[in-house]
Amino acid sequence: MTQGPLIVQSDKTLLLDIDHPLSAECRQAIAPFAELEKSPEHIHTYRLTSLGLWNARASGHDAEQIIDTLLKYSRYAIAHALLLDIAEVMGRYGRLRIESHPVHGLVLISTDVAVLTEVMRAKKVAPLLGSKVDDETVTVHPSQRGHLKQALLRLGWPAEDFAGYVDGQAHAISLNEDGWKLREYQRLAAEGFWHGGSGVVVLPCGAGKTLVGVAAMAHAQATTLILVTNTVAARQWRYELIKRTSLNEDEIGEYSGAKKEIRPVTIATYQVMTTRKKGVYAHLDLFDSHDWGLIIYDEVHLLPAPIFRFTADIQSRRRLGLTATLVREDGMEGEVFSLIGPKRFDIPWKEIEAQGYIAPADCVEVRVTLTDHERLTYATAEQEDKYRTCSTTATKKNVVLALAKQHEDDQVLIIGQYISQIDEIAAELAVPIIKGDTPVREREELYAKFRIGEIKCLVVSKVANFSIDLPEASIAIQVSGTFGSRQEEAQRLGRILRPKSDGGGARFYSLVARDTIDQDFAQNRQRFLTEQGYSYRIIDADEVLPR
Amino acid sequence: MSLTGVVNSSSGLSPTFAAELRQRSDEDLEKLFELRPDLITPIPADISALAARASSAPSLLRALETLNQWQFQVLEVCAVLRDPFTIRQVVALSDRASQEVILHLRSLALIYSDGASLRLPRAVRDLLGNEPVGLGPESPTEIDLKLIDKAPAGAKAVLEKLTWGPPRGQVGDIRKKGTPINWLLDNNFLIPMDTSTVALPREVGIYLRGNKVHSELVPIEPRVTGVTTKDSDTQRAALASISNTLRWVAELLNFWSEESPSARQSGGLGVRDLKKAADHLGVEESCAAFVSELSYLSGLLGLEADGQIIPTTLFDLWQNKEPEAQWSELVSLWRATSRVAGLVGRSESRNLTALSSELDRSNASLIRNLTLDLLLANPGISASLESVKAAVLWRYPHRRGPLITAQLVEWTLREAEWLGITGGGALSPYGRSFLEDEESLGINGALPKPVEHIMVQADNTAIAPGPLTIEVARMLSTFADIESRGGATVYRFSESSIRRGLDHGHSGEEIRAFLNRVSKSVIPQPLEYLISDVAKKHGRLRVGYANTYLRCEDQGLIAALTADKKLSHLSFRQIAPEILICDSDSGELMEELRGAGYFPAGENAKGGVINMPVANRSTSRAKPPRVIGELSKPSSAILSVAIRTLRTGERAAEKRPAGQMPRSTANETMDLLNEYLGKGVSLRIGYADTNGGVSLRIIDPLSISLGTLVARDHATNAMTPFKISRITGVTTA
Repeated sequence: MTQGPLIVQSDKTLLLDIDHPLSAECRQAIAPFAELEKSPEHIHTYRLTSLGLWNARASGHDAEQIIDTLLKYSRYAIAHALLLDIAEVMGRYGRLRIESHPVHGLVLISTDVAVLTEVMRAKKVAPLLGSKVDDETVTVHPSQRGHLKQALLRLGWPAEDFAGYVDGQAHAISLNEDGWKLREYQRLAAEGFWHGGSGVVVLPCGAGKTLVGVAAMAHAQATTLILVTNTVAARQWRYELIKRTSLNEDEIGEYSGAKKEIRPVTIATYQVMTTRKKGVYAHLDLFDSHDWGLIIYDEVHLLPAPIFRFTADIQSRRRLGLTATLVREDGMEGEVFSLIGPKRFDIPWKEIEAQGYIAPADCVEVRVTLTDHERLTYATAEQEDKYRTCSTTATKKNVVLALAKQHEDDQVLIIGQYISQIDEIAAELAVPIIKGDTPVREREELYAKFRIGEIKCLVVSKVANFSIDLPEASIAIQVSGTFGSRQEEAQRLGRILRPKSDGGGARFYSLVARDTIDQDFAQNRQRFLTEQGYSYRIIDADEVLPR
Repeated sequence: MSLTGVVNSSSGLSPTFAAELRQRSDEDLEKLFELRPDLITPIPADISALAARASSAPSLLRALETLNQWQFQVLEVCAVLRDPFTIRQVVALSDRASQEVILHLRSLALIYSDGASLRLPRAVRDLLGNEPVGLGPESPTEIDLKLIDKAPAGAKAVLEKLTWGPPRGQVGDIRKKGTPINWLLDNNFLIPMDTSTVALPREVGIYLRGNKVHSELVPIEPRVTGVTTKDSDTQRAALASISNTLRWVAELLNFWSEESPSARQSGGLGVRDLKKAADHLGVEESCAAFVSELSYLSGLLGLEADGQIIPTTLFDLWQNKEPEAQWSELVSLWRATSRVAGLVGRSESRNLTALSSELDRSNASLIRNLTLDLLLANPGISASLESVKAAVLWRYPHRRGPLITAQLVEWTLREAEWLGITGGGALSPYGRSFLEDEESLGINGALPKPVEHIMVQADNTAIAPGPLTIEVARMLSTFADIESRGGATVYRFSESSIRRGLDHGHSGEEIRAFLNRVSKSVIPQPLEYLISDVAKKHGRLRVGYANTYLRCEDQGLIAALTADKKLSHLSFRQIAPEILICDSDSGELMEELRGAGYFPAGENAKGGVINMPVANRSTSRAKPPRVIGELSKPSSAILSVAIRTLRTGERAAEKRPAGQMPRSTANETMDLLNEYLGKGVSLRIGYADTNGGVSLRIIDPLSISLGTLVARDHATNAMTPFKISRITGVTTA
């Protein structure tokens, strides 16, 4: 037993004491097999999951190595059963393999006949398999590769996929590192992805996820399909690609509501992909329209269900998912794992902040005390209207106005959920507003003006939650949000995390109505960020309001 | 002990079992009592009584259970032979090594000697059955065994079938001529039992078995095999288990202190409560059952008369002990108990529940100790289950249930691992020290020292980076939920957890002060807000406890009541101008009021409310379950007392004048009668008549049936039936 930095809990979580001198070394050692769950200020929590262990096995680590690592860094004795369990779980990986057979095409192979028999008998797996070639081999229809992997994973017998990826149509793409350089973590993330084949890279907002995608494209040297959340984000990708790579305007196509271009590098929006005509997803053919060598899913935590289904069919293509918050409020993290791929790279937000690549942020929860009248209205409101009632009160609006006045020299974003509320705020402040019905051109114009400082304050609805690059915004005021959504809070903070030209910090105000349901939601919303090491400061609205 | 030098009885006839015991030296008797302690609990009056007890079925069964497989095989060989037999005969049918075993069997009084030859007490033969090792009855006639080679093919097949038992077989009709059966019957290779059953004679069976009795002799204990382990790994795993077990016990009891389950009507912990406990501990149900049994054994847990299962005050004492003392207490009781936690919730015994009275198994402790002995004898390896099972079954070939024996071994190994007696399957240094009764086990030094501080983090969690001291853990758990357990504990603060803390009577200020004191990190502001928010809301509604209320519109009367000295012991509390409350129940209060000269009337209303949860403790004395175990080895003092008593009894018997009525025990009587049946030997018997008078008869025994001896009475020279129950004693005439 050492006096190590790691405490192994019986529920398979690992607690890493980051004040310990060996913590950095230990973190590197456990990162390949343990998933970082949260990273608050003193103790980081990792978790040993079957997925994580299989993942590690897939990248060449064996159980003995992992057990050695745990024993080496563990502060206390580790239960034998837990170690046995790790060995057992890891032993399950690779008993089944998906391979390309020269005669039979895609096949599922196992040298362990009992396991093969077990999975062949499983109700969910049987229909995905074809005829039996011999005792150890059974054919798989190529279109079922993803579904089969999903089903096998659920049975606890993950298949090792040796069938490989198609290279796709080659297309020369190289990085154009002129006046900028790929950051170390971006390079590591891109490489981590490339060696893993497919998977997800998790980086904080503002840390340059786009560049990881670009670096991955440079690895692939092939035609690429990029899926993004909306048209504005699509344009930003296009802008970055032209700036950072050897690609020129003609090589990049936009596939959105407005344009339907298919080029060697095509950027499509989720919205157009999931548009249905007469009940049919008309645009999903885009996946097949080209021999893509790489598919990039931007903001993978928002990936809509139809695209999941389609992704299951294209398992032979390399897939890269990008996100800042691999938290899906719909609980579909498992689907992301089995269809896009496992998490290939993750880094605590605070660490990037320490490296100076994202701005330090000051999170402030402003507690707003409702007036007696408002309290009464809230108390008598119907259950389903309660949240709306308390988050759109006049008192809140007054606090927003006061805050905006306080920060009139800064670049301020005011973010809200309820359109009537933000309309009102924009009108009172006499500043422009961007919401769902604002045309793309107008949006781009406003964003551009905001970037150069022509507009100091901008009111936005949830359309600006993601993928909007506003480097100079330093203040965000959240009036209301989508109930307790953790990733939304993080994404909104992300809007102001780009490093500022003056090296200053960002401030994120979240307005919360005291003693209401708003407060409960706020606590849940803040959970992701507090787990990332952000700490909220609570102030009273009276400190803000003019006396 | 040697087999020679035993003086034969003067009559020249073979001695009875009792007579042989009488001849044994003090040392031999002492040894017998050591091996069979039940023979001197209580101490028998004389050797006859001792002989009777030694040949009673329960005592013999106990003695047989002490035999290992090899010793049992030798005994079986003896049973195959006819009395009297010799060591040479036994060796011929088994192995040279059997000589040693025969000495042991004689020490156990399972066989006795009459000088040159050996005999089996009748009761032992009876226990081993008519067909020992699947060998049939002895042939009444001479058999020419060489003829077997000439047997027709069909006959050989029949013999082969019967060789290894059972020795009897059904045939269509044995009178049918020309069949292989017929040939065998003609040549005495089969004995007809009835018209359709034949049996293979014992001599033929032994011959066909190659002049052996057993297909395989097992004079040597099967070796325990397994994977060699590293000492450091073993120690580490054991330490983790030890701290886990102690933590489980404490957590389970703390959990049940808050939420006491109720025993099922048929006794025991309900399946749902067990599952809840397992979820709470984060272990499997079998393990939760084990932990609850462990707590029950050590009296940390009590079953109240009303069926509530709650911790006793012993738990508080236990918690204040050093870990080593805590552990040894649990382990010693586990080692000795006859209760088998492994039986709980198995699919084939769904109705067996933890803490119920049906978990006792008489041989549980014996097998547990056999298993532990094997572990002790094979250090440094993680023994394979199969090999330990084989070795235990060799040492304890309990012929009543090899299945349960194997299961007990499996459970013992599983539980030993949970307890940390083994670590990763190999005996741990702590387990070894414990089994060798060492004074200090070294656990206290090896377990992590308790920590007194926690780290509070911005995500509303607090982490105790090691085992917390009881005081801190107790306080913290009142207002924080445990999120993860193990070497460290992760607590989460939430609105409901803080509220619970306030419910326990701590103020928001106290909670904050406590956190400031024990936290190494600064308390994050949101947590402070959370605490004060909840504290602010807490208690706006007041709920109190009162058994009875007093209502009176006359405020003067209310004032009089509160001032009345005669009623001051009722301690009224005024909660409104017209209302008093008190804790006495309504009947009591009415009586008191009437006694004091008031005229109360009952009011139709509901009574008090349940109070806030407090740490419940059983008020009754802890009554841990009784251990039904093996008799322990008697101390030397007891042994010498036993021998003195026996010798005195014998001297008393010797002093009886000659010519008195013969007296022998029922067993001796039967032995002697059986011995001399139809041999033309005359016996003296005491025979009680219907009036209670005993007369001396001299008889020649002829046959016994239905409890009646038919014998020629010398006095009348006629065949006379004697009821065996009336025979008071037999001696040779």
